Formats: sequence, C-alpha cells, structure tokens
Amino acid sequence: MRGGVLDDLAGLVDDARELYAGDAGASELLARYDRRLREPLRLAVAGMVKAGKSTVLNALIGEKIAPTDAGECTRTVTWYRYARTARITAHLIGGGEVRMPVRRSEGSLVLDLGGRTADDVAWIDVEWPSESLRSTVLIDTPGIASISQEVSERSLRFLTPTSSPSEADAILYLLRHIHGSDVRFLEAFRDTAAGATQTVNAVALLSRADEIGSGRIDSLLSAARIAERYRHSGELRALALECIPVAGLLAEGARTLRENEYAAFAELASLDRAVRDRMLVSVDRFTRATHETSLSIPRRRALLERFGIFGVRLAAALVRGGAQTSSELSERLVAQSGLTDVQQFVADQFRSRGAALKARSVLRGLELLLEDKPRAGSAKILAGLERVTAGSHDLRELALLSELRSSETALLPSDASDAERLIGGAGTAPLARLGLADDAGREEILARVDEILTHWRGVSESPLTDHQTSELCRVVIRSVEGVASELSVGGGSDRASADVVTASGPA
Amino acid sequence: MAEPVHALTEDPTATAGDDTATTAIEKANAELATLVARASSLAGSLGRADLVGRLSQTTSRLSDPTVRVIIVGQFKQGKSKLVNALVNAPACPVDDDIATSVPTSVSFAEEPAAFALVRSENGAGEGIDRMPIPLDSLADFVSERGNPDNERDIVGAEVMLPRELLRGGLRLVDSPGVGGIESTRSVSTLAALSTAHAVLLVSDASQEYTEPEVQFLKHALRVSPNVAAVLSKTDIYPQWRQIEQIDRSHLGDVGRIPMFAVSSDLRMLAAQEQDRELNEESGFPALVAHLRRDVLGRAEIVHQRGAVHDLVSVVDQLGMAIKTELNALLNPQDTPQMLADLEAAKARADEFRSRSSRWQVALSDGIADLIADTEHDLRDRLRKVQREAELSIDEGDPGPIWEQIAEWLDQRVSAAVSETFVWTNERSRWLSEQVAEEFTAGESSIPFIDVGDTEGVLDPVEQLQGMDEGRLGAAEKIYIGVRGSYGGVLMAGLATSLVGLTLINPLSLLVGVLVGRRAYREDMSARLSRRQAEAKNLARRHIEDVVFQVGKQLKDRLRLVQRVARDHFGGIADQLHRSLSESVLAAKQAASVYEKDRNGRVVELRQQLARIEALRSEIPVPAEVRA
Repeated sequence: MRGGVLDDLAGLVDDARELYAGDAGASELLARYDRRLREPLRLAVAGMVKAGKSTVLNALIGEKIAPTDAGECTRTVTWYRYARTARITAHLIGGGEVRMPVRRSEGSLVLDLGGRTADDVAWIDVEWPSESLRSTVLIDTPGIASISQEVSERSLRFLTPTSSPSEADAILYLLRHIHGSDVRFLEAFRDTAAGATQTVNAVALLSRADEIGSGRIDSLLSAARIAERYRHSGELRALALECIPVAGLLAEGARTLRENEYAAFAELASLDRAVRDRMLVSVDRFTRATHETSLSIPRRRALLERFGIFGVRLAAALVRGGAQTSSELSERLVAQSGLTDVQQFVADQFRSRGAALKARSVLRGLELLLEDKPRAGSAKILAGLERVTAGSHDLRELALLSELRSSETALLPSDASDAERLIGGAGTAPLARLGLADDAGREEILARVDEILTHWRGVSESPLTDHQTSELCRVVIRSVEGVASELSVGGGSDRASADVVTASGPA
Repeated sequence: MAEPVHALTEDPTATAGDDTATTAIEKANAELATLVARASSLAGSLGRADLVGRLSQTTSRLSDPTVRVIIVGQFKQGKSKLVNALVNAPACPVDDDIATSVPTSVSFAEEPAAFALVRSENGAGEGIDRMPIPLDSLADFVSERGNPDNERDIVGAEVMLPRELLRGGLRLVDSPGVGGIESTRSVSTLAALSTAHAVLLVSDASQEYTEPEVQFLKHALRVSPNVAAVLSKTDIYPQWRQIEQIDRSHLGDVGRIPMFAVSSDLRMLAAQEQDRELNEESGFPALVAHLRRDVLGRAEIVHQRGAVHDLVSVVDQLGMAIKTELNALLNPQDTPQMLADLEAAKARADEFRSRSSRWQVALSDGIADLIADTEHDLRDRLRKVQREAELSIDEGDPGPIWEQIAEWLDQRVSAAVSETFVWTNERSRWLSEQVAEEFTAGESSIPFIDVGDTEGVLDPVEQLQGMDEGRLGAAEKIYIGVRGSYGGVLMAGLATSLVGLTLINPLSLLVGVLVGRRAYREDMSARLSRRQAEAKNLARRHIEDVVFQVGKQLKDRLRLVQRVARDHFGGIADQLHRSLSESVLAAKQAASVYEKDRNGRVVELRQQLARIEALRSEIPVPAEVRA
C-alpha cells in the first residue's frame, strides 16, 4: 500500500526544489515537506485545557516524560520524536534555536526555558530514545479555552493554520464532555486544514474516563456508555472517526508500574474489606495517619498521585481478583484503562494509512505554494500533483470517507454504512472491511466478496443512480477488489504491526 | 439514585454536625410579628385601614420569606448532587451521563411532594400548569433521557421536602448546565440569576476555572448581589487544595467571592451512617452555615429591616394626629400657627405624591431613557453581528456551511443579548437608587410640625434617612418592595423567571437551518450570489426577530421596575398625606371642643399616646446587614 504515493510526491517535491532554488523561504518549506514525507506519522494530542493531554501522551510513550500538573501545565507546543540520544531544543519565534538542558524531576522532563517566557518560544523539540517514538512523532499541545487567551491561540494556530496545511497528520482529540468549545474546535480543524474535511484523521478520546462516575468502581462502564452515545451523535460523527473512552492517569501509571507499587497494592488488597473501603472513601481519608496499614503517608500520597483514587480502588480489586505479579497487574490495568483500544485504533486507522495521510498534507502544501508563487514550470508540477491524487486509491478512499461522514449522499442509509466500512472506516484490515470475523474461512470470504461486488455493481449500473453516486460506487468496488486480491495472495494476516509498543499485547 | 424514595419521607432532622440551632434571627422574627399584630390592631381601632393594609403585607412577608438560591455551573460538575447532598435526599435525579434539562426547585413543606410545571395553551393564551407527579418519577420529567429535547414541554419542576435547612424559606434551584457564556441557555440563566437572592457557582476540583466560567462569574457578580463559589468532588481529586488555591487567585481578579470546597458523596455517606466526622470532612457544614447566615440570614435581616421600617413609620403616623390634637387642646393659643404649618405640609405632601413630584419625574424620565438606550444598545450590538455574518457569507458559498453559520450566529446573538441584559439590569438598579434618593430628599422637605415638643420624636422622615445611614442602601428598599409587598407581581412571573426568559426562540433558528439546507440541496448549480443573498436575508430576518422579541421582553422588565417603584413609593406618599390630613382635622376639631369635654379628651388622648409610645419603645433596632 505504501511506497508509491510517497515516492511520487518526493519526486515532485524535488522538482519543485529545483524550480524554487533561488527562493530561500520556499526552499526551506520544501525541505520541510521532503523531511515530512520521510518522517514517521505525526500524531498530535489536542483538547480542552486540563483534558489530560500530556498524561495520555505519556501513556502512549510508556514513560512519564511530559510534565503534568494539577494546574494548567503545557504552555507551548512540544514535539516528541525518536533519537538515539536525548536532546531538547527550543525553537524561538522569529527564528533561532536554543539547546536546553535535559533535566528530569521525578521522571518528567523539566522544560526550563532559561529566562524566556512561553511567548518567545514557537515550539520545543524533544528528541528521546524511546522505542514507542520510532514509528510516530507525538505532539503535545496547550489546552484550548485556557484562561490565558494567548495559550489557547497558540494551539489553534498550530493545529489549524489558515494558510498552510496542518503540521499534524492525525489528531487525538481529548474531550471530557461535549462542550461548546470542543465542538467548535473540532469544526475549525475540519474546515481549515487543507481546505477539506479532516474527519478521517481525527479520533475523539473521552478522557479522564475514570472520573465520570465519581471514581466509583463501575466508572469505566459509564464512560463506555457515554462514548457509545457520542459515537452515534451527529455532531461528533461528522468530526471524528471514533470515540474511545480512556482513563489517562490509570494508563500512564499502569505502563510505568513499579514493583514497590505492586507491593503496596497487594498490601491494600490484603486488608479487610470494610477497613479498605473506609480508607478509600476519599482522598483525604486515604492519606491521613492510620494504624490499619504499614504504608507510610508519603507512599500513599504518591500512589494517589500516580493512579488517582479510582486507580487505587481498581488496582486493589484486581490484585484480589488474581493479578499475581506486577506485570500481570500492569497488563490488566492497561486493558481496563482503554489505552489498548487507542493503540489499536491508531495502528488500524492512522498508521496503516500513514502514507496517504502524510501525502494529503504535503500535497496541499505544495499546491498552496505553487498557487502562491507561480513559476514557469509550475504547471508541470501541478499536473504531477493531479496525477498523484488521481492515481492513489488510498487518497480517494480518504476523500470518500470524509464525504460520507460529513454530508448526506443519495445512497440508502444501510448502503452508506456498508460503503463506509468497505473503504476502511472501521479499520483498514481486509477482514474488518468485509465485516467478517478474524477466523473467517476461505469459502466464507469468497462468498462475501462475491455478494458485495454483485450488490455494488448493481447499484453502480442502475439507471436510477446519478453520476456522483456511481463514482462513489466505483471507489467502493475498487476497494473491495483490492481487498480480494490482498486476501487471495497474502492470506488472512491483516494486523499492521503495533508500532506504539505496549507493555503487553492487546488483551 | 440507589437511595430508596422512602428516604424522602423519613428522618426530617438534619445531618449530624450541621448547625441546626434556631437562629437569633428567627426568634427576632417571631417578636416582630407580635409587634406588627399589636400595631395593626391599634391602627384598626384608630380607623386607619390603609395602615392596617400595609402592616398585613409586612406580616405576610415576615411569615413567608422565600429566599431563592440558584445553583449554576457547566455540565457535569455535580450540581444536582450538591442539592441532594444539601437536603440529604435524592431530590434531583443524578446520572453519570444524562444531564438535567430543566430547572428544579427544592423547598420546604411538611409533606414531601413533587410537581412538574408544564406549559399549557388554553383558550386564555399561554399559561403554566402545576402538575403533581410522583417523587420517584421525577427523572422522567427533568432529565434529558426522560424528556429529550423537552418534548413534554416542561418548564421546570418543584420538589417539596420536610427538611430543617429549608424551613427558613430557602429555595434551592438546580439549573441545567451552562455550556459557555455565549450559549442561549446562559442568557436565560442570567435572567434567572437576577431574580435570585444568591448564586452558587459549582465547578469540580478536576481543574481550575476555565475562561467561560470566569466570564460567567463576572456577569453573575454584576447581576446578583450574593455570589459564592463551590468546589465540588473533593473526595476523588488529591490535588483539590492546589486547585482551590489556583481558583481563589482567579477569583481574586474577579471580585470578593467566598469559596467552599465540598464533597457531595462524603456528605451523603455521612448522612447514611450518621457519621459526624465524615460530614465535617465533606466540607458541607461551612456551606450550610453560609446558606443560613449569609444568604438566609442576610435576606431575613433585610426583611426585618423592612418590617421595622414599616412599623416605625406606621406607629409614628398613628401618633401624629393624636399628638397634634393633644397639643391643640393643651396649648390652644398655638393652634392657628400649627394649623397653618400643617396645611402647608399637607400641600407639599400632596404635591409630593402628584405626578409632577421630583421622584416621579425622575422615575418616568429614567425609564423612558432606559428603554430607548436599551433598544439602541441591543440594535447596535446586533448590527455588528449582522455585519460580521454578512462578511462571512460573502466570503464563500453559505450553502454547505449554513449549519455552522447558523450556530455561530446563535452564539453571537446570545452573547450580545447577554451583554445587553446585564447592562440593562445594572442601569435599572442604578435608576432605582436614584429614585429612592429623590424620594428621601423630597420626603425630608416636608416639614413636620410639633409646636409643643421640639424633640421631633415623631419624625418619620428622619427615620427613613436614618435607615440610609445603615447598610441598607436605598436600592435595597426597592428590593424589599419588589420581593416582598409586590411579590404577587413576581409570583405570577415566577414560573417564567424560573427558567428565565426564553429570549431566543430556537424554532426560528431551526426554520432558518432547514430552509438553508433545502436551498442548498434543491439546486446545486444555482447562482452563488442568489444563495448568498438568501443567506443574508435569513440572517437579517433572524436578527430582526431577536430584536423584536428581546426588545419587548426587556421593555416589559423595565416597565415592571417602573410600576413596582411607583407603587412602592406612591403608597408611602399616600399614607403620609393622609396622616397629615388627619392631623389638620384633629387640630381643627380640638379648637371646637367644649371646655367640659376637654379634660376627658386629653385623658383619652394621653392614654392612646402612651400605648403608642410603649409600642414604639419596644420596636427593636434593626440588625446590621453584612455586605
């Protein structure tokens, strides 16, 4: 699937670089596009202030490096990318960069701007030797609807620039509840970036899911119900591919679970139920002096800080439920926190389409540049761009997917949802597209493909179908044919390799 | 919600640890009520039915001091749970997901009961029906699950509970969440705030205040006299103290607002287990104390001051005629002089209550100006919105993005209306103060005559001025009138004020969206400019509608202010006039009394005067109102 589009585009970018050899600004831009085509997928984490963006980012990396705090914390856009040695660079507004010392306090980085304020810094580049960052560049953004207008503006400018394609290829949008500002922001993201809807590269995470039911032990069930409702609500459907509940703090704690923390949970689990329940009534009760447990107050406080009251309640319950070792506990906590679902989604939807998503951004950027500063040879490159767009089935799928999500078509509702699945709206794995189980037999697959193709050819050729719809049908048919050939050649192995390395495999 | 409904009917005592002692205020209330009853019978025996009427209003105000506290905040901050925890009963439905959709008011009654307020359209036009419903099916009426998009057309719900906390007349109103300052709902919430005695803004301890919340607080402070902040869910956030610190620093920029950190879950657990210590930990005792002392107590003190003022004024006016007559009998040589002075005073009082008096002029001119200004202000703000809308429509094809345009328009219009509303509210309060000042100034210009006694014990004017020196501002006097004696007017509007004014008719916008969408689909190739013109037309028409509807509502509000102020001060002026007339009459009669009757009359008058003065001396000095 990959390769083709990116190589073609890289060739076009090279052509453009020759064309703009004399123009320093354009050359720099093109060099950036060139790099971008070769770099891993850029995944931005965005959302309202205090939605838990840095926490989720830490959970994805599997290391507590992004600073988090009870108050508003992230104030500049921060990039986390892979490198063999750790290095932090601050890029200043108006050019210039400053190396920053790599210092950590209790694990997380201390982003010391050395006398500069967040207003002077355009973005911070953190190079970090973490395996999880090999396949994805993660971008942390300041919260929207911060009390400081400036901080919000900074995020909006970064994520939804008006004159260039967005720097991010895909976005994890954290929301705590459908909130006026949340939806507005998602809409801005859809409208501006590359002039087309971006539904296809956004996923909504219902964050801080453990707090939804006041930290009761069934909180995550409530969260799952709410996510389900959002998934079907019109507003969100048009703006993001999916809605997944995630308990960020729990995930972060679980992925970095230490042996002594496991021991602490084991001790809590061994307490008498009534005593434990009494202790865990409130955070204040949990952290005050008591003879019931040998855990010191600072240790208990640290547990709360790392896992939250829900995390402590859940971990104790899981240990009692049979989590024998720290890695077993970590595994179960990660699964409960919803992080596994997020990783799975990122792998299925974003990384498997990585080439197309990157290509989309760069295509638009090139187009804008060529329109902006036309040169003698621009027409040829524009034609090349056209060819790439037309020739890439991935790009056509993306375009169709966003169209299906955001506007109504002449298709029957059942056909529309089928089409969405077939072009990869519920995962790009061949069997997922066909709506079959992972263990489907060859016969079953063949029958299904046959049935689908007959149906869609019928729709496409029906005299009642208008031109636009039959175009749409052709894309669907092409997708199904692609799936069929992939299945008959390569067999059923369909999982894109999980790039964000988890402590454990999916449960 | 797991709590069984029978919990509502039993155990009316408050949670252990609450301050439930009958306050001194309540005792003072009872004493005042007996004084009012005595003064009333005295006025009746002296044939002053007008003063009896005034005192009966005083009595009813003392016995039923409704104090409305509105609980506001963004979605899912635990507002309903806070109300439940305050009254220790599942009065408002609570759900992890589904939000409250209509306001629910919780107040006192000996027997628990619940009502749904349903909009009804009968022959006489729109009205509000108060429909009794079972307590345990309340959720079907007030939450978004049982009543999606308010298909049952419910404007509110009332729950009555036998709870000690509510006995003093406290009425807790749980409001639907406010998405942001620019949402349509927040306008109606602001309107509701202006009729409340106090506001509690709930925000949970998961994060510091967001910008919309601070904005909302700023607006609330301008509209409501008593705003407090509640930090909820302290049981699950270890950093709540840090958040509290940060929030306090944000509050510091806004104004003086007390803040309470509470946990509703702990409070409910404490109630279940009758655990005093846990109740202390929940932080609720401080909040309850605030409600009793600073909200209820303060409102009651205002009521009491009003009652004392009424009493003093009535007793003094009663004494006026008697003293004059007594004077005339004892010092007949002064009578002509006294009569002349009295006649002059009467003439001035007459002028004072006429339409051309200064306070009347100030009032009617002020309201007329205010109406014009308000309308201009509204138009001005909305014109800006319209211009912006037209610009953005001109930029591209409005068809595909019409829904966003409509939503944007809705938000901007709501924000503009909010601003105008707050501004109008401030101006009308300021106007009330001006009128009150004019009134007191005018009142003092009526000289009071007491030739024999220069001490001026019977000077009601001075008394009124004396009150000004206290903390009871002139504006509050009007509010006494607005909330008390003329409560009837407001009661009629209560159902609507409960939900606030539905300032923007969501239907009109919906129609706009539908039309916009149809226009877009109907003819994909139609000329762009035609669509743009149509879109602009829709926007313009919508704004016209808003100006029309909101303008009318605001005008009505201002007219209400005018009417209340006029009736309030006019009533006092009338009574004053009548007292003076009676004094003149008494002085004249005294001159014609025969010598042999004179002694008997003097004795009789002295007795009456003694009774009045005894009553007068018993009237307590009103307590100070804490600001």
